[in-house]
Amino acid sequence: MKYVLKKFISLLITLFVISILTFTAFSVIPGDAALAKLGIDASPEAIAQLQEQYGLDKPILERYADWAIHALQGDFGQSFNYSRMSVSELLATRLPVTIILAVMSLLIIVVISLPLGMLSAKFSGKWPDVVINQTTQVTMAIPSFFLGIILTVIFGIGLKWFQVGGYVSPDKDFWGCVRYLIFPAIAVAIPKIAMVVKFIRNSVLSEINKDYVRTAYSKGNDENQVLYGHVLRNAMIPVITFLAMVVAEILTGSLVIEQVFNIPGMGRLLITSISNRDFPVVQASVIYITAVVVVINFIVDIIYQLADPRIRTS
Amino acid sequence: MEDKTLISVRDLTVGFPAGKGDIHTVLDHINFDIGQGEIVGIVGESGSGKSMTALSIMGLLSKDAVIMDGTVELRGTDILNIDHEKRRKIQGDDMTMVFQEPMTSLNPVMRIGDQVGEVLKLHTKLHDDEIERRVAESLLSVGLKNPEELMKSYPHQLSGGMRQRVMIAMAIINQPDLIICDEPTTALDVTVQAQILALLKKIHREKKCSILFISHDLNVIKEICQRVIVMYHGTIVEQGSVDEVMYAPKHDYTRKLIASMPEQLSENISKDPLIHVKDLNIYYRTAGKIFTSKKDRMVYVKDLSFDIYKGEIFGLVGESGCGKTTVAKALTGLNTDIEGTMDLGGTMPQMVFQDPFSSLNPAMKIGKILEEPLKLAGVKNKTERREKVNEVLQEIGLDESFAGRYARELSGGQRQRIAIGLALMRGEKFIIADEPVSALDVTVQSQILKLLIRLHKERGLTILLISHDLNIVRHMCNRVVVMYLGRIVEMADVNELYDNPMHPYTRMLFESILTDKKKTDTDKITVNEVRPLKRDQEMCAFYGRCRYAQDKCQEKALELRNIGTEESPHLLRCCLRIARDE
Repeated sequence: MKYVLKKFISLLITLFVISILTFTAFSVIPGDAALAKLGIDASPEAIAQLQEQYGLDKPILERYADWAIHALQGDFGQSFNYSRMSVSELLATRLPVTIILAVMSLLIIVVISLPLGMLSAKFSGKWPDVVINQTTQVTMAIPSFFLGIILTVIFGIGLKWFQVGGYVSPDKDFWGCVRYLIFPAIAVAIPKIAMVVKFIRNSVLSEINKDYVRTAYSKGNDENQVLYGHVLRNAMIPVITFLAMVVAEILTGSLVIEQVFNIPGMGRLLITSISNRDFPVVQASVIYITAVVVVINFIVDIIYQLADPRIRTS
Repeated sequence: MEDKTLISVRDLTVGFPAGKGDIHTVLDHINFDIGQGEIVGIVGESGSGKSMTALSIMGLLSKDAVIMDGTVELRGTDILNIDHEKRRKIQGDDMTMVFQEPMTSLNPVMRIGDQVGEVLKLHTKLHDDEIERRVAESLLSVGLKNPEELMKSYPHQLSGGMRQRVMIAMAIINQPDLIICDEPTTALDVTVQAQILALLKKIHREKKCSILFISHDLNVIKEICQRVIVMYHGTIVEQGSVDEVMYAPKHDYTRKLIASMPEQLSENISKDPLIHVKDLNIYYRTAGKIFTSKKDRMVYVKDLSFDIYKGEIFGLVGESGCGKTTVAKALTGLNTDIEGTMDLGGTMPQMVFQDPFSSLNPAMKIGKILEEPLKLAGVKNKTERREKVNEVLQEIGLDESFAGRYARELSGGQRQRIAIGLALMRGEKFIIADEPVSALDVTVQSQILKLLIRLHKERGLTILLISHDLNIVRHMCNRVVVMYLGRIVEMADVNELYDNPMHPYTRMLFESILTDKKKTDTDKITVNEVRPLKRDQEMCAFYGRCRYAQDKCQEKALELRNIGTEESPHLLRCCLRIARDE
């Protein structure tokens, strides 16, 4: 319990620091929302008026304090760009899509990499290992946007397994949304699968020569019993960290795929908001993303404790 | 007593592929038997094939090993050339194995109970409750307390000695006919070693199983075995009863193995202190917590006072964790968090480390490694440095060609010579040797010790010799200090200390030594795995393990008191007055 509390405090500190950093960054870079909205030809009076309306004329500390107080109550202000929508509403429509996509990609990664990695390690140097190694080598080299295009061409335009550009919102039809997201998730997953397979293989191989494995054989275990009963759990410990990194990357970096498949997720929102200087949205998005990454780390720490008793006691 | 043969090894020949279709033979036509209920020892240096023999019998040879010839028969049936399925039925059922490294031989993420019970799960149809009961029984029988609690714990929560007991519990639980022990005590402290050997003897008596006991240490073999096999370069050079082999060795190599330790006898040592240490405390910092300014600063070594005289070999003994290496680190300046007086007499102590395999940079040529101290001392002239390197290489019994080689091309003994040479490069007069030979084979050990003695005599070197090997200390040192949990508990001239050990801990250490003298009774060693006290506690640190412990031991901090003469002091930190011969 003390551990959870400690982690929670560190989460708050991280968020605080990130919020200050983004706030500062946006005050330092040239151009503000008013200018972006009205264009460079606008009269100085009009800009000044809009600045006043958005509160951009106040000193930065005051603006930060204002924002922070509201943000703590869940109010991230109004979007400059999408008028009549509060930032919270905007995020509420976008965030779930990205999270569903990330979770689906992760499931695909784990379900495919684990058996492939184990197989590759078990037959290391023999033909299954060579085949897996060659295939992953290729898939690792394909950028996911290109993979997305290929998937669209084959399964969308060719086989018509999904309707190109026919995105379904998760509130209206959850399973419809999932069905639509399968191919984007595959596009995100494939390059990562290659890395995770290699990682699992190496992790298992480095465990296999350890003394406890010899002990396990000396008891009369056969190869599979040793591999799945003894080696797997030890080998998974470094893999968990690696997977967490992969998930964080997916959550923040699937924006190219969102473009290719026309998915209204966080990535696309962030891109538009940054180019429009839609400061409240960017600020809130960055906070959300940070929170997600920190929360994942927190979850990983807990999984770690379950997997490795040595961490539990120290 | 052994009319029946259990294991019979005939013409066993094993090799490894050495490229280009060649095979490098590691076992060459090995022949021997193990009788039912017999304890057979195999002794030899590393690479002699003793472990390979054990793995062949156990069926654990690595996949690339090639069995070129021979059979291993278990009760008359060949078990060497059978398929995996049949093999598995024998492993863990008819024979089990105890390995050298208790720290790594248990699965770190599996509970002790599951690991010990696994053998029964694999080989019997017993119910889970019944398995649990048997596991508890087995843990009790190897001298572990609270089996229920222990079964739920993980390996990292146990000490090395406890883990080795767990390994033994695992080996005996299914009542095998043969237990193969591969250097089971090598990684353990002497006191723990003695306990484990006593335990194995007890098991042998009670279960009437056979034991194949592998060791590089003849004293250990003699302690436990009835018959001994001496291996050298993959062949058996001699075998017979322990007495025959030990007291009338026929083969040259055996004689070399038995040949005693080098002895240094320089009586007239000056009483001129070179190193003077007074009331020294050495601290370790544990990581401070964020949000709290409190930093944990732990006293690791406390109230350390001693002088090392010019030109003597000063021994420092104690079990692992007692602070031996910490003292060495403080003297060489690797540990700077200290309080008290430390006068090094103008010397810059040089260190020789325990493990010659990992303490030399693998990417640097020996010549470069040896030159480094000179470079740091500001010797700019290249030829001057080279000459000095060659000079030192000669002195440590190597030749100039070694300057162009890498550490991996050298044997363990040669590497340790280099490490000693490194300590000599700057012409310092004081060397700290931290377990300099414990990673080496017995025959190599004596060469390295001889080198140290020669340098000590020729150069007038003063040496602080840290060792857990009490035999070596006795033969090498002029004076000896015994440490327990960060404190000196006894200090005296070597003969005085070995003839009249007064501290209960020193006595326990000495009772654990396996000497070349025959001992009649070794079962009296008490099984004692009490958790030690914290270092900063004021009472006698040895209280929990002391067989003479009394209430007054808990009362106050103890001072070192002199129970010898002014001439040759014998310092002791113990409040009891135990009779000399008790």
